[in-house]
Amino acid sequence: MRWLLAGLLFALAVALAIGTVAIRAGNAALRFRVENSYHAIQDRIVELRRLSLEQAQAAVPESLARSMWAHVRAEAQRRLESLQ
Amino acid sequence: MKTGERIRVRVAFGLLGIVPVFLTGWLGWVQVAQAGELRREGGAPLRLVPATADRQAWREERVPTPRGTIVDRDGSLLAIDRETYDVRATLAVPASEGKRVEALRAWIDAVANDFARALVADPGFSSRGDMLRERQAEFRKLLHGALRTAELPAQGEVPAAHPRFTDVRIAGGVDSLAVIEALRAVGAARSSVTMHFLRTFRRDYPEREATAGLVGHVKTDWVSDPATQVQRLETWGVCGLEALAALTPADADARPFLRDGRGNAYFVGPLQPLPVPNVLHSTIDIELQREADRLLGEEAEAVSHNGESTRPAWGALVLVEMATGDVLAATSWLRDRKSKVGQAFAPYQSLYEPGSIVKPLVLAYALEAGRLDWNHEFDCAPGSADYRERIGSLGSRVVRDDHACGVLSAHGILVNSSNIGATYVGLQLEREQWQDYMRFFGFGRSLGLALPHEALGGPNKRSFDGDIPLRSFRRNSAISFSFGYEMQVNALQMARAYLRLYRGGDAELRLCRGVEIGGQWHAAPPARSGGARLRPEVVDAVHAALVDVVSDDPHATGTHLHRRFLTDTGVDLHGVVAGKTGTAASRIGIRGRGRVEVRNASFVGVLPAEAPRWLVVCVLQKDDDARFYGGSYAAPPAVRLLLRCQELEQRRPRHEEPQRSTNGQVRAAQGSPGVSGWGY
Repeated sequence: MRWLLAGLLFALAVALAIGTVAIRAGNAALRFRVENSYHAIQDRIVELRRLSLEQAQAAVPESLARSMWAHVRAEAQRRLESLQ
Repeated sequence: MKTGERIRVRVAFGLLGIVPVFLTGWLGWVQVAQAGELRREGGAPLRLVPATADRQAWREERVPTPRGTIVDRDGSLLAIDRETYDVRATLAVPASEGKRVEALRAWIDAVANDFARALVADPGFSSRGDMLRERQAEFRKLLHGALRTAELPAQGEVPAAHPRFTDVRIAGGVDSLAVIEALRAVGAARSSVTMHFLRTFRRDYPEREATAGLVGHVKTDWVSDPATQVQRLETWGVCGLEALAALTPADADARPFLRDGRGNAYFVGPLQPLPVPNVLHSTIDIELQREADRLLGEEAEAVSHNGESTRPAWGALVLVEMATGDVLAATSWLRDRKSKVGQAFAPYQSLYEPGSIVKPLVLAYALEAGRLDWNHEFDCAPGSADYRERIGSLGSRVVRDDHACGVLSAHGILVNSSNIGATYVGLQLEREQWQDYMRFFGFGRSLGLALPHEALGGPNKRSFDGDIPLRSFRRNSAISFSFGYEMQVNALQMARAYLRLYRGGDAELRLCRGVEIGGQWHAAPPARSGGARLRPEVVDAVHAALVDVVSDDPHATGTHLHRRFLTDTGVDLHGVVAGKTGTAASRIGIRGRGRVEVRNASFVGVLPAEAPRWLVVCVLQKDDDARFYGGSYAAPPAVRLLLRCQELEQRRPRHEEPQRSTNGQVRAAQGSPGVSGWGY
């Protein structure tokens, strides 16, 4: 009987060791995913700032006027070509 | 259980029992035999104290602090810190690639190609093919240099002592997501390459062209710590609003992360709040600033359209709110300069002889000093008895008017802009009074706005020398001062002088309304009051004359302006805009051209005429002798800017000072708080 108990305890120890390693590995994988998410969010904040400024600059009257004239010219050119 | 089985079980459990015995022995060796410190190869002994355990368990990420945000009076961004990455890479040559020289070189080339491709990953880049080739060459040079492959033979074994580890800077100011992800992918794909993305800020100026002269700029350079002699990169404001102390960033903060036994950071460690940037609220109204920029540029370019005249050398246009002295707009135009960034800024760096626009100031001062009877009539004809007695008696100096003037009151002198009449008044002032006049109106004195290379001007250096006889002073300086010669000003000084005419001798211009520091609003010191002021009847008398300058009176110097607006826009400016024109011909030294004759056309105006709220000053300088008048060239853009200002005032809700903290966020754009003052 006592050998059986000893064996069971040994099996339990092995199972605990394997379980612990598995949990630690799971934690490591989760940390890696969290780290990647953290980086991804930070990276997108950086991108967001850049795009925000670019868009804000594109929305000043001078830029909008330039953009509008470019569209008008393109449209005029298109109509001219369609007439020819 | 058989005897053999018993022996095997005892051996197995005996072996298992050895493990705790070993661990106990190891613990005793470390904690008792080596108590105090642990010797390490190639390094200082490691002290076995709690601080060491803490240090090894934590890692710090450096968090730079932002300089702060500059906004206009309605919250539009003028300068902001934008997050970017400074990217470094740690390279450890894999064992398999580090044995032979050929393999090492091939590995370095492959890594260089990876970096180069990552840096041109943004599809928005133009000429990516050319960029890629340039980057490849750069990285090959960088990595081969870092790993010293030039010291190796063409082929063969790599010596064991040759470095196989290096740390290099890949790029700075990286802000494109495509590039960032490509660089991260390089690190993920190559176990021998560890990428480090260091947070940093880049200063951005969304309205750079329009505001360069006022917002100023920053400089980043290596500085040496006087205590440790360690060199570090530092950014500081050089001039303009950027130079104000509120935008001096605090020391870089550090954010701790837990790390495991292999040195990898736990990204679930406690995060400290990121620093809130200071926000500096400037007085600039970006919409008016852009408008001023456009109007001045159009007027300056239009001068050359008549086919016979050249464009002005420079121009300046300044708009000020009279109640506060806030500079709402100040713009500069320079001939043949496509960009304003890095160029001279005319409103405070370009000096000119103001000419007739000082006459209201001279007459106001004389009236205040009791040296002028406003209702007295002067005979301003060149050959009159008055002229001979007051001017002719001083010597041979001749004073002329642009058009013949007869008998004029002080009001008429201003409306007709009579040099002879102004001289009569100016000659009533003593030398000390002229000095006080200069001091009262701030000529030759700094604007106190910390603006770079501010030109002070003022009267000529010898004008007030004590060794100049009084008669000589009267014949030369007093006459010249009376109609704006023998002195130089800049456009902002002229705006301040008129502000003082209306608000008193302590009135100053201001560029900063206040700052938010740590979320707390600190208003800029209010304009001083209690200094010398001109009596209301003096101001009213001068102002009434300024109203009539812009009228249909054929002798008024603003009649051309009045007619032009009536014809072009149907607006009768009389009673709407009050102002004074100025035209001066000077000889100045220009590098490479010697002394040349220049003509300064200027205009100062206020609106509304019945209760002035805005003050505008415009000056254009031409460096030829073509006819060029303030009423024709400087006045139109100035008046258009005043009218635009009034139009915007009616369209927009009245601007109010922030009454409570906005927590460092840009107020105009509501949304999720950013980490650097961004509101979106």
